Amino acid sequence: MIVRVESSFALPLVSVAIAFRAGAAHDPLGKEGLARMAARMIRRGTLGPNGPMTAVQVEEAIDALGGELGAEVGYGWLSIGMEVIERNLDPFADLVASILGGPAFDETELGKLRREIEGELVEARDNDRGLAGRALRRTLFEGHAYGRRTMGTIGSVNAVGRDDIAAFYQRHVCQKNAVVAVSGHITEDRGQELARRLLAKLPEGVPSPDPVTEPTRRPGRTLVFVDKPERTQTQMFIGTLGTHPRDADQMALHVANNVFGGTFTARLMNEVRSKRGWSYGASSRLGMERHRESFSIWTAPAETDAAACLALELGLLETWIDGGVTDDELAFTQSYLARSHVFDIDTAGKRAHQTIDAEVFGLPEGYHARYVENVKRVTKADADAAVRARLSAKDLVVAVVGTHAALGKAIEQAIPGLSSTIVVPYDAE
Amino acid sequence: MLDLSRLNAGATPDARVTLVETVPFGPAQTVERYQLGNGLTVLVLVDATAPVFSYQTWFHVGSRHEKKGKTGLAHLFEHLMFNETENLPAGTFDRKLEEAGAESNAATWMDWTFYYENLPRNGLGLAVSLEAERMGRLVLREPQVKSEKEVVANERRQRVDDDVDGAVSEILYATAFTKHGYGWPTIGWMDDIQGFTTEDCAAFYRTYYAPNNATIVVVGDVDREELLALLQKHYGPMQRSDIPVEDVQPEPHQTDERRVEVEKPTATEKLVIGYKGPALGDHDHTALSVANEVLFGGRASRMHRALVQDGELAVDCRGWLSTFRDPGLYDLSVTARPGVTAEQVLAVVDRELARLVDEALSQSELDRVKARMELGALQGMETVSGKAEQIGFWDTVTGDPAGSFARVAQVRRVSASDVRRAVRRFLRNESRTVILVRAGAADDDDGEVAA
Repeated sequence: MIVRVESSFALPLVSVAIAFRAGAAHDPLGKEGLARMAARMIRRGTLGPNGPMTAVQVEEAIDALGGELGAEVGYGWLSIGMEVIERNLDPFADLVASILGGPAFDETELGKLRREIEGELVEARDNDRGLAGRALRRTLFEGHAYGRRTMGTIGSVNAVGRDDIAAFYQRHVCQKNAVVAVSGHITEDRGQELARRLLAKLPEGVPSPDPVTEPTRRPGRTLVFVDKPERTQTQMFIGTLGTHPRDADQMALHVANNVFGGTFTARLMNEVRSKRGWSYGASSRLGMERHRESFSIWTAPAETDAAACLALELGLLETWIDGGVTDDELAFTQSYLARSHVFDIDTAGKRAHQTIDAEVFGLPEGYHARYVENVKRVTKADADAAVRARLSAKDLVVAVVGTHAALGKAIEQAIPGLSSTIVVPYDAE
Repeated sequence: MLDLSRLNAGATPDARVTLVETVPFGPAQTVERYQLGNGLTVLVLVDATAPVFSYQTWFHVGSRHEKKGKTGLAHLFEHLMFNETENLPAGTFDRKLEEAGAESNAATWMDWTFYYENLPRNGLGLAVSLEAERMGRLVLREPQVKSEKEVVANERRQRVDDDVDGAVSEILYATAFTKHGYGWPTIGWMDDIQGFTTEDCAAFYRTYYAPNNATIVVVGDVDREELLALLQKHYGPMQRSDIPVEDVQPEPHQTDERRVEVEKPTATEKLVIGYKGPALGDHDHTALSVANEVLFGGRASRMHRALVQDGELAVDCRGWLSTFRDPGLYDLSVTARPGVTAEQVLAVVDRELARLVDEALSQSELDRVKARMELGALQGMETVSGKAEQIGFWDTVTGDPAGSFARVAQVRRVSASDVRRAVRRFLRNESRTVILVRAGAADDDDGEVAA
């Protein structure tokens, strides 16, 4: 168990994040959504040291103490987050330890959860940006763990049984698989003791193996068009394979990405929004997981501007890859990243959470501590080489949510060298 | 103690600074209110917890100050404030801030517009000079106005036209308010957005962007004397403006339920209800907030249990009590599960509301809800920007910069009787507007809703 404590006595709040190194990538095929369901079942009843508590009793006990308890899941991690008013820390710690140590995994509650998730999956079809992002990931990482849906699908969620959840929990939610970040109104010693206390009822276990293979770049230019009626606007992503902080050129690519689409005055925003007014937002980002993640560009132009906007973005991407960044752009972006870094560490919670990031994403030693130094060290040659080596304008996926009858042809024509087109209805998943 | 006489030595009358009051902000901090001779209000909270500060400018103008046919002007203007000034070519404003490591943005709503920069502590001079520059010397040209109108139109498509929840919320307010400016959307109707001229924008700027219509809020690791000297230097030369008396149209008392049925391209039905609610300053606003927490606060709340967990009728449910200067709405929204009708949801909502009206709250339920609300209030105070936003919001809407702490104290005092009185006063069917959203094709008219 790795524990980091960051004290701050400015507010009477104590926060704890506990991350376990296992997530949706550990879901068996056909049972996608298992990790997320396990996380959500934690608070739905406990066997408890002082007698069993139903889901409702757990919820009421959390609220009565002025506490919060949540759970999140990524591909390589499952995280439990809690926060409580300091005066109630002791009883809240007892409650959470009991919840973590003896979840009931009640069949009735599991049935309710399945139906709840089914409703959420249907509701998610209302979110166009979410649909576009999902289409990108599904296509970019086709056949790979990172292409799966962490929420699962209606079919896979219904295939998950109580035994699956109990087995996942028993295997992965254990002391040796945990990283704990404690922050707020608490001393170092008390924070360390709190972490031990919260996990005391969990088995010691062993760290979870990482089942994920290194993803490979999908060859050619692929369009995935999510067909949805009556769209006035087009949610649009362009994506390709990115990098991982263990790559020697990751920091150079990070800086270069900020030149391209990481700030309000970056190239992308300047060309798409400031000069043309085509989209409210325009940005690019590098994802982070335990292995190489995606590089993606997002915009949301009106249907009438979508094809032209896409053509512009592809041109900007090619220019960036071929021509790199300018000295002025590099200096400006390094200044921005170095100076704004203070907002990554301006609260105890953010500082403590860096330990979790480092462990669950497998960051190289000193990644956070030497961040500013490493940003400043990037040269123009480093940035240009990283963009050329890691990104591709030839091998990419364009994901669009729009009305295919109105827009499909124009979008295809805006992608020179298009290899394949996939058209899917918006409610396919 | 700060020696203001030294700061005021040689200052023009408009630049002279006065300490108006010192207001306790929680158990250990204070907010100081200063005013310049030209009417600029300054609220300062020195907090050296981290080497950063938040600089916010709150203008006392929002969408409520617009007129029919010109809706969305306050919001469009917020966009234009990031453009050219007399001394800064287009694009320079954001670039200077980003180069200094700033987080910056702005927001517009019914009663106010605010701009913020969060910066490392050595950026104070930059923040003051840039904000003063755009308050006093903005340049408005046709190409920028045209381009920003396009950006706002796209924002509207994203937030409203292609977003079912956004579109339905707009219909709710347009139906519930027949006279008051709260009835039109802050982002504006599409036709109005596209019709604005550069002269509309210039007139709005001349009218509302003046020192005596603004409050500067600074929270963080700053030197008070340095800050005030900078404010005197950069804002002191500005003239106060004649702020027009607001042509406010009080909303007539609603005596009959209004019900609208719309079709939207969504997979499931939705129910949205707006009860006429209290102004933020109303004595029952806190008690109704507590009632909302009883109904919608977390998974143990009554509605969540009745609709999502036990009833299994809904995917999610939310309640929000408006925090407006004038009476607003108590706004409830529920997304039904596939196969469930909005009417089925409405029956359960009505049953739970009736239970709250008829049956007294138990002390344990009341205590639980209060603990949740206390936690929520503390969570909003973790960063300097969070504190600055609380100070700016409460001062702009109620005149009390420590209103967030006053609210926590009021919550502690709320009794079951207070909650019962508030729900009986406001949760009345004759003063509600109900929107039933059917799953299907969108209604053709995505624009103004006739009430």
